Amino acid sequence: MMKRFSMGLAWCAALMLIAGGWLVPSPAAAVKEVKIGVIYPLTGGAAAAGRELRAGAELAAQIANEVMDGIDMDMAKKAGIQSLGGAKIKLIFKDHEGNPTLGADLAKKLILDDKVDGILGCYHSSVTKTVSAVCEQYGVPMINGSSTSPALTKRGFKWFWRTTPHDKWFTKDLFELLDGLAAGKVRGVSGVKKDDLQRLAAACERTEWGAHVADLIKTLAEQYGYDLKKSILYAAKSADLSSEVRSLKAARPDVMLFASYTSDAILMVKTLKAQKAKPKLIWGQDAGFEKPEFRQTLGDNIVGILTRTVFLPKVADIKPVAGQVNQLYKAKTGHDLGGASARAFTGVQTWVYALEKAGSVDHAAIQKACNTIEIPGEQLVVPWAGIKFASTGDETGQNVLGSGLIGQYQKGKDGKIGLEIVYPFDLATADMIYPFPGW
Amino acid sequence: MEVVRNAFDFSDFPKTDLLVVGCGLLFLLFFPLLPHSTFAMATMIQFLMFSLYGMGWNTIGGYGGQVDLGKAQYVGIGAYTTAVMLIRWDVPFWVSMPAGVMFSVTWSFIIGYPLFRLTGHYFAIATIATSLVLKDVFEVWDFVGAARGLEILATKYDAVDFTHLIFENDNYYYYILLAFFLLGILIINWFRHSRLGYQLRCIKDNELIAQSLGIDVHKSKVKTYALATAFVSVVGSFHACYIKNIEPEDTMSLDLSILIALMAMLGGAGSLWGPIIGAGILIPLKSYLKEWLGASAGLVGIDLILYALIIMVVSAVEPRGVWGLIEKIRARRT
Repeated sequence: MMKRFSMGLAWCAALMLIAGGWLVPSPAAAVKEVKIGVIYPLTGGAAAAGRELRAGAELAAQIANEVMDGIDMDMAKKAGIQSLGGAKIKLIFKDHEGNPTLGADLAKKLILDDKVDGILGCYHSSVTKTVSAVCEQYGVPMINGSSTSPALTKRGFKWFWRTTPHDKWFTKDLFELLDGLAAGKVRGVSGVKKDDLQRLAAACERTEWGAHVADLIKTLAEQYGYDLKKSILYAAKSADLSSEVRSLKAARPDVMLFASYTSDAILMVKTLKAQKAKPKLIWGQDAGFEKPEFRQTLGDNIVGILTRTVFLPKVADIKPVAGQVNQLYKAKTGHDLGGASARAFTGVQTWVYALEKAGSVDHAAIQKACNTIEIPGEQLVVPWAGIKFASTGDETGQNVLGSGLIGQYQKGKDGKIGLEIVYPFDLATADMIYPFPGW
Repeated sequence: MEVVRNAFDFSDFPKTDLLVVGCGLLFLLFFPLLPHSTFAMATMIQFLMFSLYGMGWNTIGGYGGQVDLGKAQYVGIGAYTTAVMLIRWDVPFWVSMPAGVMFSVTWSFIIGYPLFRLTGHYFAIATIATSLVLKDVFEVWDFVGAARGLEILATKYDAVDFTHLIFENDNYYYYILLAFFLLGILIINWFRHSRLGYQLRCIKDNELIAQSLGIDVHKSKVKTYALATAFVSVVGSFHACYIKNIEPEDTMSLDLSILIALMAMLGGAGSLWGPIIGAGILIPLKSYLKEWLGASAGLVGIDLILYALIIMVVSAVEPRGVWGLIEKIRARRT
C-alpha cells in the first residue's frame, strides 16, 4: 500500500515538473542593456498604427544605440547611454490588440518576468489606462508617447509621464482654426462669416479616447459659441456606418468632426461619399485620419479633409532634424513619418534622456529624472518647444511644452496627395482649400 | 442532504477519468508553489475564469441545448455592480458579489421569460441582441462611467485586502478563484443529478416528449438560465477586482459571449469536464501561440491564423468537441 502510494506521489511530482517546466521564463542574458517593454496594438483594428509605432520606436532605439552621422541630435552622436557606461536600449515588443485587459496582463509579464526597467506605450488610451495602473501598482516608470485622453494625467500618478499634448489642446486648436477662418487669418481664405460654420456634428468612436473627445467637442463648442447639432458615439469595429452617417447628415452640419481609428475612419469617409454628404469642413482627430492606409485606400477622395496631428513631413521644411530622421524612416519603411511614428520615436528618445539623466536603472532614480528632465525643442522631430513634465498640479506627468498641428490633404504638383499645414497660422505651408470641394 | 450527496457523487465516471481529474486538481492546487512566470499565472487565472464561464454556459447551452450567445451581459452586470459599489460606497466584494448575482438573476428572469418562447437560431439571435442593447445602455450611462468605464485604483488599498479583494500578488486571486472553481464543479455535478438537470436533458432531446411527460419546459429553461447567469456574474465581479478597469467594450462585447460559448462547445457541451477541457486547451493555446509566434518573433498575426485553424479542425473532425472525441475513442476500444 505504502509503495503504491509513494509511486503515485512520484508520478504526480513528475507530472508537475513536466507541466511546470515550460512555464519557467528563460533567464535574462547578463549583457549591459536597458530593457524597455513596449506595448502596442500590433494586430487587430489598429494594426496599421501598430506597424508605424513599432518602426518609429525601433528607429529611435537604433539611433540611440549607434553613432549616426548626419543627424543633428545628441543621441545620434553617442552609442548607448553614456551615464550607464554605454548601455544599449533593448525594446521588448508586446501586442495588446487594443484590449485593455490583455494590456494589463502584458504589463505584469514585462515587469515581473522580463524584469524591464520601464514601459513605453500603448497608443489606445483605454489600454494605457490599465497598463499605467499596473505600473503605478508596482512602482515602475512608464512613458506614454501617443495616448491623448486628457483623463490619463488627471489621476495624480507618480510613475506616469506623457510626452504628447492631449485632446483638450488639439480640440482647442480646431476651434481656434474655425475662429481664424471667420477672422480671415487663414492663408488663402477670406470672406468667411462665423454663421457659415455655425452648425457642427460629431461622431466619435466609443471607448476611452473617443468618448472623451466627444465631451471636449461639446464643452468647447459652447465656450467658442458654436452650435453642436448632433454628437454620436459609434463602435470602431462596426462593419457598417450608414445609419450613423444618415443621422449626421440629417443635422445639416457645416462642419463634421470625427475621432476614429484606422478601419472605421476609412469606412466613415467611404460612407460619407456614398451618401453624398457635403459639409464645408471635415476634420478628423488624428489617429485613423492620418494613417498611410487612409491615404492609400481613399486616394483623391480625401482632398480637402483636415486632420489634427503632431507631425507632418512638411515639418521637415521648418526643422532640419525632422527631415534627417524622416529620410532614414522612409528608407526603412517606404512611408514618411506620421503622427504615430514620430511620437513613438519621441517616446523612446525621452526614455534615452531620462536614463541618461538618472545614471541608473533604479526606478526611483528614473522617477526623479523624469520629473526634472528638460529636452530642448531642437532635439525633437516633432514641432514642440521641448519636453518638460509637470510634477505637481492637476496635470501631473503631462509634457507642458507640446503643441499640435492641423493639416489638410492636398494634391501636390507631382500629383501625390499629402498633408499641408494650415494651423498654426504662422507655420502654414499652403493655402487652405475652403470649402470642402466635395466628392 | 441529497443535494450534498449528489454534488459529491462522481461514481458514474470511470476510474481513469477520476485519476486524471485528481492529478489535475493537485497540479492546480500546487501550481503557485511551482516555479512559474507571471504570464503563466495570468494564463492560469484566465483559464479558471473561462472554465467557470463555460460551466455556467454549459447548463443551459450544453445540457439544455439552448445556444446562448449573450452571456457577456451578465459578466458586465456582475463586474459593474462590484466596481460601482466599491468605488462609490466602498462596499466589500463579499457583499457586492452576491448583489451582482441578484441583479443578474433578476435581469435574466426579465429577459429569459419572453426569450424562451423562441427556439433554435431565433433564441441565439435574441440573446445576442439583448446583450448588445444592454452594452449600448452602459455606454451612455454616466452613472457607471459611460463608454469610458470605471477604474479601481489599487494604490488606494493595502497590498493584501481580503474584504475588497484587491491584491498586489496574483497568487491570492488564483486561490480565491480556484475555490470558486471547485465549488462550481460541485454545483454542476449536483445539477447533473438533479431533477432540473434530467428535465433539461429531456428537453434537449425532444421538447414535445418532455412536455407530454408533464415537464414545464418554459419554467425549467428559465430556472436553468438563471443558474447559468449566477456563475457568469460571480466571475464578472471577480474580473472587476482582478483587472481593476472595466468598460462596456471590454466586459460586455459580443466577442466575449462567443468566446464563452466556443470554449464550452469545443471542449464538449453537455458534459461536466467539457468546458474545463475547452478552456484548458484554448486559453493557453492563445496566450502561448501569441507569445512564441506573435510580436516577439516578428510574425504578427500568424498566431491568430494557427489558433483559428485548430478550432476549425477540431469542430470539423468532431462537432461534439474534445470530450466527444474521447468518448468516441472509448467506444471503439470497448
